[in-house]
Formats: sequence, structure tokens, C-alpha cells
Amino acid sequence: MSINNQEKSFGRIKVVECGWGVSAAYAGKLLADIGANVIKVEPLGGDITRGWGPFPDDERDPEKSGLFVYLNTNKRGVVLDSKRPEGRKLLDRLLESADILIHNIPFPDREQYGLLTSDLRDAHPRLILTSISMFGDSGPRAHWRGSELIASNAGGWAFLSPGASPSPELPPLKTFGHQCDLQAGLQAATVALAAYWDRKRTGKGRCIDVSEQECIVSMLEMNLMHYSYAGRETSRLGRRAVGPWFIAECSDGKIFLVCIEEDQWERLVEFMGNPHWARDPLFKDRVARGENLDALKALMTDWFARWKVADLYIEAQKRKIPMAPVYTMGQLLESDQLRQRGYFVELDQPGLGRIKLPGRPSQYERTTWALKRPAPRLGEHTEEVLCGEMGVSASEFETLRNVGIV
Amino acid sequence: MEHRPLEGIRVLDFTWAWAGPFATLQLAHLGAEVIRIETTTRQICVTRSIPPFADNQPGANRAGYFNQYNQGKRSITLNLRNQRAVEMVYELVKHCDIVTENFGAGVSERLGIGYSKLREFKPDIIMLSISGFGQTGPARRFVGYGPVVAAFAGFFSTTGYIGGDEREIGLSYPDPNAGAHGAFAVLAALTHREATGEGQYIDVSMVESAVSMMGEGLLEYQLTGRDPVRNSNRDRVMAPHGCYKAAGDADKWVAIAVSSDAEWRSLCVAMERPDLARDERFVTAEDRKNNEDALDKLVTDWTCRRDRWEIAEMLQNVGVAAFPAMSNKDLVNDAHLLQRGFLVMKTHPEVGERTHAGIPWKMVDSPSEVQSAAPLLGADTEFVLGSLLGYSREKIKQLREEGIAA
Repeated sequence: MSINNQEKSFGRIKVVECGWGVSAAYAGKLLADIGANVIKVEPLGGDITRGWGPFPDDERDPEKSGLFVYLNTNKRGVVLDSKRPEGRKLLDRLLESADILIHNIPFPDREQYGLLTSDLRDAHPRLILTSISMFGDSGPRAHWRGSELIASNAGGWAFLSPGASPSPELPPLKTFGHQCDLQAGLQAATVALAAYWDRKRTGKGRCIDVSEQECIVSMLEMNLMHYSYAGRETSRLGRRAVGPWFIAECSDGKIFLVCIEEDQWERLVEFMGNPHWARDPLFKDRVARGENLDALKALMTDWFARWKVADLYIEAQKRKIPMAPVYTMGQLLESDQLRQRGYFVELDQPGLGRIKLPGRPSQYERTTWALKRPAPRLGEHTEEVLCGEMGVSASEFETLRNVGIV
Repeated sequence: MEHRPLEGIRVLDFTWAWAGPFATLQLAHLGAEVIRIETTTRQICVTRSIPPFADNQPGANRAGYFNQYNQGKRSITLNLRNQRAVEMVYELVKHCDIVTENFGAGVSERLGIGYSKLREFKPDIIMLSISGFGQTGPARRFVGYGPVVAAFAGFFSTTGYIGGDEREIGLSYPDPNAGAHGAFAVLAALTHREATGEGQYIDVSMVESAVSMMGEGLLEYQLTGRDPVRNSNRDRVMAPHGCYKAAGDADKWVAIAVSSDAEWRSLCVAMERPDLARDERFVTAEDRKNNEDALDKLVTDWTCRRDRWEIAEMLQNVGVAAFPAMSNKDLVNDAHLLQRGFLVMKTHPEVGERTHAGIPWKMVDSPSEVQSAAPLLGADTEFVLGSLLGYSREKIKQLREEGIAA
């Protein structure tokens, strides 16, 4: 495919991203990585993730935050204070030529930031206005505060995690990172892109209200229906419905095993050399193996201990037995499968040097996914965008800078 | 606007289990017409055959798992082992914009419905394939269930209690994550088609889409030389930040996330402990991180004597993010989610009105509701073959008698 085609489809989509943290930034990243022109608007002190790290050698530096860099490659960065009238006017000028706005200003703070949905809609009828909030823009808890931890609890995920836990004294457990924020961003980008595609037919914008809590409730497997279909409450405690299903210890690390189908168990038994205990009625079917998992684990301990993770993973999967290494980050970066598919991408990020970043989450035949530009330094493109593209004069810019708007 | 963004877009959907149907559910939510092709010969979709069933009575149309992730779609049944059924697929493809599948890598080709074949009948078709490890590379034929992928992608090694082992994450998270990324990729491909006239193939690896959510951990390893430390519900910067035991003998917990020193002082006021606001161990976020064990104990002393909702409301009223750890029962009965119209109860011919998760976003002035309950197995065979291919009732009856359709 030609670069021209790519530019025809995505280079002309102009996206403005405001707010802070992870959700809006991931939405912006998804669009930027396929070529959209994404302008990230940061407050004067910079985005909050600039302070979150991880940092090289754990030394705080707003230009060296790993989380910020991961989320903001391919974007240009503008700093302006939209809480003040002059800053708000600049934002409006920026939005005049934008196709999509994605922001995650909390519902109760929107007026203060000049980002009320009703005002924006009146001023920019063609804009795809996409707001992400913790609980949505309506309902009795619209004004409540949230965060990643709150979302994973309010959305029902934490209550189910880690699952099959024997320890009621240990709390519901958040999954690593900012998964709930990322999912809200992914939904927002998808709906915004659908609305943009449709705008070609209608010429009209849309106002989209994404609830992060609802994004998580939408992905709880069959847990809601355990209650609404069968009156059963579920939690992180109890047993697996089927087995074997556990993390096992090899001689040099951990491996994960799960057998869902009977034939997978049969092949595992054969692979283990048909030990006599495998025919015990305690393990007669997958449900029984779930119920008697502790006994099963104990009997398999020696067998696992004879293996190295990498060898067992390959030998088991050759036999269609579902296992995978419990990879650490360092091991994941060395994955043969990911290397052969050219997944990880190297990028020179000022201040961090050459780093490896996650590559395309989807492999396209024609749409080009690329990391072309490092994450912006704080305010790196303010002048370029304001003066070069919005017609702000040099003297006007100087004034804005002196009074602390940009 | 009266119409939904993807109205007029038609999807021929061969997906099964969770990841694939989760992708096409997003497209159905956005207004696309999704036609599920279900099989008469192979095992029916796994989600139609596992609990929970309505009132604990098994049945292909009674499974909550299927009925959740296939809302708003149509279902036709075809015997794809029969060449005439495959030829009917070719005819149907001519009327479709998108084809989706998540068989094992290479299976769609064997069934005669691979991308290169379908392109002969619809040159600008967009085809989405989702698989565990991707369509290429040495692991392409490995079994990639969601939990297996989560182990591989580093979720287990980074999630866990303080000082504890690697833990699972409660959900088969890589499935909906791959599905949601697949839906985004389809929108990107539609945008590309609009600009260039070209269709394309999309290869989503559950592993790669999951690793795309691991940027924070991958950078921590590269920037600090250390894998992320399993830290229960704690945050890198914020404290207090946890899921705390609330009053009641059952499993009741409340999440609290304090993101600033001002919020900490508000929490102290709510706890009626003004002395703690002055306590030098807890003045700044850094102080609180350094004394987090003591801090968590003080917070637990307060929470464990109070109702989780009382705590959440009290803290939200002073601007501190807090929320109970929600169970499936809590969510199904939640006033906020009901009032938002997020929880839906569409009438289903066999199971009646059951609570399901609806659409996690809304559009102002546009319809954004689930259109219908999940389809009965083969409910739309006659309608689809009649309306798209012009088949008469007699012809469909004959196809059924010959075991080609059902």
C-alpha cells in the first residue's frame, strides 16, 4: 500500500486530547499510532503520569516517566491552561479544526475546565466529542471520584481476583498496571472512530459519554449471569470449576497449566507417562479434578520439578496441552514468538535512550501502524501548533507565555 | 441523530467462545448488523454449553455466557462441512462488509473461508481473525486460552499480594481485550476503505494485544533493571491506596485511593483523627509511602467498624475516591447502573427477562441501547437466506432436509 493512501485515511484526522492520566491518553495513542494527527493538551505543570514513573534509577524527572512515554508516543504536546478564559479561548480555536476531542476531565470538574458537553456541542457541531469518566455523565454517582483502583472495584473485577483463593482474609486484588483505564480508552477510541466514519455520511458530530465502570462490568465473563440466571454469588474465593488449573513450579521458574477439555487431560496423562494415580476416581473428570485440585497438584509436583519452563512449554504445546510460561518482563522481551512476528518496537526517547515498546495490538495488512515520534517534552509543540497552525502571532504568543496561559 | 453510527454495515460472524463474540458485540452496539454463522455439526459454541443456565436448566438457548456476549446479533446455522453451505457463505459475503473469525490459526482456510478465498467474492472485504498467538510464528498453532495468554503476557508475574507468589487475575482478561482491540481495528479498516476503496486482513494475536497493555511493566524493567514488585493494591505514588475490610461478617471491602495531601487531610477529618493530619509520618505522599504498613493499619481500624457504603459516601462527600468492592449481586441490583440504563433486560423467548450488561457508553441525542436479546440457535436462518439471497421457503426447507442448514 502507498503512504499516500495512509495519509488519505488517517493523516487528516485531527484529534485533540485533554485531561490527564491513562484513559484519554490510551485513546489518543490508538489513533496516533495509525497515523492520526493527535495533539495532547497538558496543564501547566504537565500531565500527572509524568510524576508517576517508572523512572530510570527511580529518580523522578517529568521528562523520563515510563508510563508517560508508553502512552504518548506519536503525539505532539501543547501546554495551556484551559481553566483561564484566555486559555479556554485558545482551546476553542484548537477545536475549530479538530475532528475528534477525547478527554477524561471528571464530570464534576468540567465547568471549571471549560469542557461542559453542552457548551462544546453548541460551539462545535461537527466535533466528535468523546468524554470518559468513572461513572458516566448521568445517574446518582456521576459526581463521584475514581481512579484505576476504584474502577477495578466498582466494576466488579477486583472482587473476582485472583480467583480460586483459599484466603478470605486477603482483599480483592487489583490487576497490575492501569487495565481499567486502558479499557475505557480503548472503548472511547473505538466509538469515536465509528462516529467519525459515520460523519462522512451526515456531516454532524456526536457527543459520546463513556463510563469506565461500565466498561469493566461489560467484561466480567459470565459472572453477572451467575446471579441473574442462577442466583449464585461469585467471588475470588473457592475452587476452580474445572481442573487441572494452576501455576506450577518447574526447576527454573513458574509455568501455568489449564485443561478445559477431556482430551487435553488425556494427553497430559500420557505425556506424564501414565502414572497410576491419574486413574484415581478423585480425578475422573474435569469437575472432579477442580474439586480435588490440591491433591492433584501435590501428585504433579515432582514431575514439574524435573522440567525447565522453556522445554515443558514447548513439549506440552506440541501435544496440544495448554501451558504457558509465567513470564517476567525480562523474559517476555525475549519471547521467540514475539521476536519472529516483529512485535516489539525500538524507539529513541530523549532522556531514556533506545527503549523497546509494545508494538501493534493488531496486525494490519494495509493500515500502517508505526511509532514515528517519541513522546513530547512538556510544551514541546506549543509554539509550533499555536503560531504555525492556529495563526497566533509571535507577540500574542509572547503575551500568553508571560501571563502563564501557555 | 436518529441512526447509530454503523447502521448499514453488515458483519458475517464466524466467531465463538469469548474474544471473537466480544469484538462483534462492540460492532452490534455501534449499529452494525451482525449475522452469526453457527454450526450444525461441530460442537455448538462453547458459551452455549456451559453454566450458568437460566434456573440451572441446561440448554443451548439458556446459557447466560452466550446470551450476554451475543446481544443484538442474528444467528443462522449452516453445516460448513457441506460444500453447498460453503458456497452459500460465498454468496452471503457479497452482501457483507466485514467477516470475523477466531478459530485456531489456519482453520478458516481449511474450511474454505479463508481471506484469500472470500476476497474473490468481495474484493474489498475486511476480515478480522483473532487467535491466541497470531497467524504466524512458531507458536501459531499453540493453544491460547485467555488465562494461558495472561500468564505469557506477564500479568501473573506482576500481580499478587505483598511478599506473595505470582497470582492469577480473576478473569480471562486477554479475551475481551483482544476482542475490543479487534473492534477498533475493524473501525480503522473501515476508515481506510472509505478513503482508498481497499479492504484488508487483520490478524489479532491475543498475546500481542495483551502485551500492549503491559507498557508500564516493560518500561519499569528496562529503566530500573527490575521487574515490577507485586504490591497487592498499592500504588507507586499514592497512599493510602488499598482495598480495606469493612464492617459485617461477610466478604465486604471498600477501596480507597488518596491522590493528594489535601485528600489525605480530608480523610483524616472523615476518620475524626485530626491528629493524623499532623502526624509527621504521613504529611506528604512520600512520607505515607514510607510508612504505608502503619498507615494501612490505621485506615483498616477505621473501616472495619463501618459499613462499606457509609464509608464510600462519607469519603466521596469530601472529595476522596472510595467505592465498595462490588460483587455480581451488587452490580445486578445497583441503582446507579439501573438508572443509567446500562443494565438491560430484553425479552428472550426462552429465558425471559434477565439482567445483562448493556452498552458502556451513551450518545447524546442518538440511540445507544441494546437492540435485542441474544438470538436463539438458528433463529434467523430463514430471514437471512430469504432477504439476502432471495431463497424461497421451499428452498430453505429443502436445505434443512438435506442437512445443509438448520
